[in-house]
Amino acid sequence: MSQTLFCERLCQEFESRRKRNSRFSVRAFATFLRTDHSTLSQILRGTRRVPENRIATWAKKLGIGEEEITFYLAAESAPDAAAHARHEQLRHWTAEAASITREPIHFQILELSREPNFRADCRWIAGQLSVSVDEVNIAFSRLLRLRLIAANGQNSWTDLTGIPRLTEREFLVMALARVRESAFEFGANAFLK
Amino acid sequence: MANPVLQFQILSKMPDETAQFYSSLFDWKVDAGNPMGYRQIGTGSKEGIQGGIWPAPPQAPNFVQLFVGVDDVKIFVKKAENLGAKQIIPPTILPEGDEMAVLLDPQGMSFAVWRRAAK
Repeated sequence: MSQTLFCERLCQEFESRRKRNSRFSVRAFATFLRTDHSTLSQILRGTRRVPENRIATWAKKLGIGEEEITFYLAAESAPDAAAHARHEQLRHWTAEAASITREPIHFQILELSREPNFRADCRWIAGQLSVSVDEVNIAFSRLLRLRLIAANGQNSWTDLTGIPRLTEREFLVMALARVRESAFEFGANAFLK
Repeated sequence: MANPVLQFQILSKMPDETAQFYSSLFDWKVDAGNPMGYRQIGTGSKEGIQGGIWPAPPQAPNFVQLFVGVDDVKIFVKKAENLGAKQIIPPTILPEGDEMAVLLDPQGMSFAVWRRAAK
């Protein structure tokens, strides 16, 4: 469990009291805060959160002003950095999956790349598919990220699906599998079955 | 070969608006007349580096990437991976012959390694 902002402040306060008095113990700190020492010990070790209803009481005992207390209370309801990172990962990869599922442009680019008259020119592709160049570039980046296409020559893009007669259904199955693999590779374990 | 930062890239969910803002503010010239339709930024100065704007998907944040010049993209990708980086976009040859790869450094920041096409 990661330490919250108020927990860091408690640790800081405890250390500064210990510096002034080397015999100052967790038990003495707990008595001062009017709580039991085992709870406080777990909080200082970062294995337990400060109960939200204690933050204001303890902060006042430590002489912390109202304005600072407001920040500690707000920080308690915000997700910690690890939870935030996990949430962002989840959001990113679900959005990748949603885009692949909803936007046929990905499949259409792959289909087009197999044509003999294909030109590795995003403006030409946009014209062929009646979409904007930005839409082509966003989809092209996604296909590259998911290792579904490779651009390995000045005028050649290679479909990496390995399926000779690709259908939209087969593409979706493969693309979603790649989203899951990539998500796992980048640490979004929620996508692991 | 030294490895200077050759280019900055703004990834924007609203690339036209971003181009409009910076060209109005700094008088930068934005030219998308190339096969990628890439909005190449000319700052109008020989000092510093030039840049570009690439469209970001709606769910992505807006951010800036640095492109570091290398003489061999694949070798630097391998080197970066050995140092803990991850590949986002593998080595890719762009329509005008430039080669690039995009990586995520161990702290989670993305950057690109880039080899300009021989003129």
